[in-house]
Amino acid sequence: MYAPAAKAWSPYAAGVVIGLLQIPAFLLIDTALGASSSYVTVSGHLAAIADPGIKAIKYVARHLEGAKNWWQVAVVVGIALGALLSSRLSGTARSAPSPVWQRAIGRHSPPTRFAMAFAGGFLMLLGARIADGCTSGHGISGSAQLAIGSFIAVAAMFGGAMLAAQFLRRV
Amino acid sequence: MTTLSAILVGLAMGAVFGFALEKSRVFEPGVIVGQMQLRSFIMLKVFLTAVATGLVVLAALHGFGFAKLFPKATIFGADIVGGLVLGAGITLAGACPGTVLAQIGAGYRDAWFTLIGGLAGALTFSYLEPALNPILLSGGPGRLTLNGVFGVPFWPLALGFAALLVAGLVALERWRPWRSEVGENYDGLLPPAQPAALAGAGRRQPA
Repeated sequence: MYAPAAKAWSPYAAGVVIGLLQIPAFLLIDTALGASSSYVTVSGHLAAIADPGIKAIKYVARHLEGAKNWWQVAVVVGIALGALLSSRLSGTARSAPSPVWQRAIGRHSPPTRFAMAFAGGFLMLLGARIADGCTSGHGISGSAQLAIGSFIAVAAMFGGAMLAAQFLRRV
Repeated sequence: MTTLSAILVGLAMGAVFGFALEKSRVFEPGVIVGQMQLRSFIMLKVFLTAVATGLVVLAALHGFGFAKLFPKATIFGADIVGGLVLGAGITLAGACPGTVLAQIGAGYRDAWFTLIGGLAGALTFSYLEPALNPILLSGGPGRLTLNGVFGVPFWPLALGFAALLVAGLVALERWRPWRSEVGENYDGLLPPAQPAALAGAGRRQPA
């Protein structure tokens, strides 16, 4: 049932695996599991090609170098590799946008979906950086450290997401 | 640890993370949007299980003195405003900052637009940060934690909270078995919603 080629694992088994990743994060890297600050590292390096002045922004400078920043970039790259492997082993590889979008916006339109995905990604990281964490950093790691700010951020995330979902059609 | 070994550890950890995200189907836009419309609860199940596991892990690591904790500072305005904006983005993207990479790995073409949008969002924030910092991103009571507020050690409260989450998850699973939420094509897409009066009767049975 939990074979590498299975198309689905129980969400509880997967959740335990993800939670156990805190062990190497805290013991080897001296930090908690997170994802969203890697976007600052990568976009900062890309932007510095055109605008070297961005390195003068202290917030950017402290995300550019160092083992912890590159560790998190490696984690998100690894996520893509792990999902690639899993989907190829089980035959659940995807290509076109999920059919859920046709239901959510009422028609099949890849360009609309691409614009929506871009806007969603933009808001996601703008918000995550304002809150100083995302579903991983605040959600999984902050809650597991009983951080009050993370509980507030998680409540706001689900609130904002559920509110936005009311503007889509019922899926 | 050198940067190179940190990168190798990160790649290995990420691969495990991505494998688990794909297997649980929580990376599917159908699962994420379904959660936000309260059609499906797979996302909540994975999320709360990961939190409960993390609580037990950290209770042990911190309780036995193997690790120190890094709770983020509480900044009320930033946590609320940032969380709301992030949440709206999660629904439009059908992804989280981490799961979008799992979507790319699984092959979803639109996830590349989410990723590019995410990089643009992070960059926009980077340029705005010096201006936003004094008005939104600073102040507040510091690294506030539940155990700190109650004045108790971390580990017993963490274990108690984990037990509470497990009890909640057991109830959630009884109410909505996960197999009934995966969808025929493992994409979280369930048969179209029934009119409200029939919603209970029309619920899909476990495959």
